Amino acid sequence: MKAVVTVLSEQVKFFYLLRRLSWYEIKSKNKMTYLGIGWELINPGIQIAIYWFIFGYGIRRGEGIDGDPFFQWMLSGIIVWFFFNPSIIESSKSIYQRVKMLSKMNFPMSLIPNIVIFSKFYAHIGLLVLVIIILNVSGYPVSIYYLQLPLFIFATYLFIFALSLITSTLNTFIRDLQMLLQAVLRMLLYMTPILWATFSLPEWIQRMMKINPLYYLVEGYRASLLGKEWYFITNPGYSLYFWGITLFLLLVGASLHIKFRKRFIDFI
Amino acid sequence: METSISVRDVTKKHKLYSSTSQKLKDIFLRKDYGEDFYALKGVSFEARQGEVVGFVGINGAGKSTLANIIAGILPETTGEVDVKGEVSLISISSGLKGNLTGRENIELKCLMLGFSKREIEELEPQILDFAELDKFIDQPVKSYSSGMKSRLGFAIAVTIDPDIIIVDEALSVGDKAFAEKAFQKMMDFKQSGKTIIFVSHSIKQMKKFADKVLWLEFGKVKAFGPTKEILPNYEDFIKTYKAMTKAEKENYRREGQSQCH
Repeated sequence: MKAVVTVLSEQVKFFYLLRRLSWYEIKSKNKMTYLGIGWELINPGIQIAIYWFIFGYGIRRGEGIDGDPFFQWMLSGIIVWFFFNPSIIESSKSIYQRVKMLSKMNFPMSLIPNIVIFSKFYAHIGLLVLVIIILNVSGYPVSIYYLQLPLFIFATYLFIFALSLITSTLNTFIRDLQMLLQAVLRMLLYMTPILWATFSLPEWIQRMMKINPLYYLVEGYRASLLGKEWYFITNPGYSLYFWGITLFLLLVGASLHIKFRKRFIDFI
Repeated sequence: METSISVRDVTKKHKLYSSTSQKLKDIFLRKDYGEDFYALKGVSFEARQGEVVGFVGINGAGKSTLANIIAGILPETTGEVDVKGEVSLISISSGLKGNLTGRENIELKCLMLGFSKREIEELEPQILDFAELDKFIDQPVKSYSSGMKSRLGFAIAVTIDPDIIIVDEALSVGDKAFAEKAFQKMMDFKQSGKTIIFVSHSIKQMKKFADKVLWLEFGKVKAFGPTKEILPNYEDFIKTYKAMTKAEKENYRREGQSQCH
């Protein structure tokens, strides 16, 4: 518990540092391209077009899901994926890639994975605004259910941060984990209702799939953006499960991080 | 004069693993796995304010390890390190990001060192002035020559006004004019009571600059004292060491290492 407090208070105390360093993270990544930061939106755009073509047009023949057109249904969920996937992949590598660059041992090390996540957060907000505009002009106006969106954004952020504390720590001494992680993530895209709906499956399989916390987040975003329901209220048990898992991951991640952070540089 | 650096009985242990599974076991299990290697073994010395202490020794003696421990980059395994004030380490590989410009690197580096926005705004022009990079300052660092990089690194390190400066081989690159300027700057620091640690292979630079010399060999202190007393001995040693054949050198190293364990 103490580790969680230490880690979280570092994020608050060094927020300016976090903001500047994540800005440099974006800058140094997009420096050599002409379109620069634009790629943070163009890339997902291309992927969305392909997924829509294959899953919406090719497989579903333009048929909707539960009364919603496939395109809008996919868009409202896939946005979580475009935040989650690159954040986890990059933040997991963050510590072993950067520990040598830190010129001080007393640098608040728990900031490192978060610098990467925060840099992806800019793109997430940009993409979110774009998706909201598209939804608004295509028959899904802003509704009262948008009010729960900040909650799901916060939940997604915290979940990613908790997970990245674990993966970035373990990655410093077991590089294989990065390979495993990438394989798991590739699978996870299809284990989450992003590209296809799961309600045609037997009840027990659906239940199994809900073990994946990402399921909760995707459905939450969708309920907010498409104006469906107060997702966290209509699914109280699932909400409890999600927050339980996230806090548990945060507890494990923070203790692992604090336990090993003094020795990170020795493992490299 | 007050003591500014005090190193007492410091050891640095590295683990040598014969396999990756050994490394894993060592991290997660209580029992010790892997072979111990001591980069430093029982090193003690003190430096006072305004003193320049030179670290000498052959490759692998532990000079850079000790410098990094004093700078707070590496943790020591056992022993105590007391450092009064801010330490700034200048090394050739000063951790500049190649695809960012010099100006961006200045802010990044200062942020990493814990400076606030306002402090950085104040420091930046001074750093620019000292580094003399002119229009290259807005070019990516990867287009810099090694001399330019070390100038930028040096300029950042001295402008942040540390109490202790560690120069790790950083003055061996760059042209004479800048080396002269850097020396002048370090002399100023010395005058104002700052402590300087100076790691170099150049005996000439040592003679000119260091008050005291710490001679390391195989992770142990071989001699520590005023430059005049220690440096001639070291010079003699280097001459004989250089004259040794490859096999003799190998032998010398092996004997030295085994004495340490």
